[in-house]
Amino acid sequence: MTSPSSDAPDAPAPGPNGESPAGGYYGRGIPYLPIHGYPGKLIAIEGTDGVGRSTQIQLLREWLEIKGYGVVETGWTRSRLMQPTIEIAKGSNTLNKLTFVLLYATDFADRLEKEIIPALKAGFVVLSDRYIFTALARAGVRGVDRQWLRNLYGFAIAPHMVFYLNIDVKTLITRVLESRGMDFWESGMDLKHGDDIYDSFRAYQNKLLREYSSMADEFQFRVVDARRPINRIQDELRRQLSAFLEPAEKPADTVLTR
Amino acid sequence: MTFSLLHATDFADRLLYKVIPPLKAGMIVLADRYAYTAFARDVTRGVDRQWVRELYSFAVRPDLALYFRVPIDVSVDRLMARRVKLKFYEAGMDLGWSANPVESFRLFQGKVLDEYDQIVPEFGMEVIDAKSSITEQQRLVRQVIAQHVQTRKMEITDDEPVV
Repeated sequence: MTSPSSDAPDAPAPGPNGESPAGGYYGRGIPYLPIHGYPGKLIAIEGTDGVGRSTQIQLLREWLEIKGYGVVETGWTRSRLMQPTIEIAKGSNTLNKLTFVLLYATDFADRLEKEIIPALKAGFVVLSDRYIFTALARAGVRGVDRQWLRNLYGFAIAPHMVFYLNIDVKTLITRVLESRGMDFWESGMDLKHGDDIYDSFRAYQNKLLREYSSMADEFQFRVVDARRPINRIQDELRRQLSAFLEPAEKPADTVLTR
Repeated sequence: MTFSLLHATDFADRLLYKVIPPLKAGMIVLADRYAYTAFARDVTRGVDRQWVRELYSFAVRPDLALYFRVPIDVSVDRLMARRVKLKFYEAGMDLGWSANPVESFRLFQGKVLDEYDQIVPEFGMEVIDAKSSITEQQRLVRQVIAQHVQTRKMEITDDEPVV
């Protein structure tokens, strides 16, 4: 419900729409939390369910810590405030697409304020297992207004790098079935495409993948082919991350050799 | 931010289950507080003014919105007369402006009232003077509502025959 008189905006245009404010807020931000000049780096690892994000993050974390970086991990629906609530709500059969989106956004806001921003302030590398793009993709598939979603997440910080682990549905299906099997929500069963979980999974994940790739340009994803072996993917992530982190660390080196 | 988003989630849930269905059935819905409360309260807590308006753009615009305006002193006196303890968030204690609940309430709600003064013209709310007696206020409220309800009363759209 916006104002009928549509008062003049007192901040720059909301939404990412092309420009890349890496390390800054996407849109209107959080007025009481200025983040300009924080030394930490925010790295998002995106990709659909079962694509291998957590494995890659675990390996990245070890590697970064050996190199001497302080690392903080954050992941979707892991906030202390919201995780129990989200679990209850998922089981209650009363969630609809709007409340679903808002619960996720609350969880994200909690982690942003309590985990991500303090870690960036203290100079950590923050590895984010999924980021707002998962929320945008899931809500997009469920028909939530795209502009409203982008305004909503205008308080999010644009990561310094977004790695998108890209996969095709066929490979994804075998991978998920080999590991933990298909899950109700990851199969989009709430969309009621039918009773068959296999068909539903395939249709839903297809749509999700299309949503993700439609965001690739808008949010400058670094697309990584996730069909390859784990170590090949890891090598590529490390190569790109080194190239970004090492030049940024140069001032610290000169201090050490003084 | 989480305060704002949790309230928006609750609002969305009530909107979808408690507000929209009766509206579809042609009923009158009385809402005790609406999105305007969030606009006033969240902005006072430091959330971006335009962002919170866009957040609530999924809300149904009310046919009529009443604002019961009261000076902060009257509000404090009434609350003190009725109960001893002010609620933590209602007094804005989370903002740490004052360790004294009554003082914090006065500071926080004072700013909330200032915010309402912007919202009222922005959304064309009807102002009721809440300093006056309950009877007087109720007479006014009935008058204002009657104007709105009467113009709509005759629009019987139910063209399905009752079998």
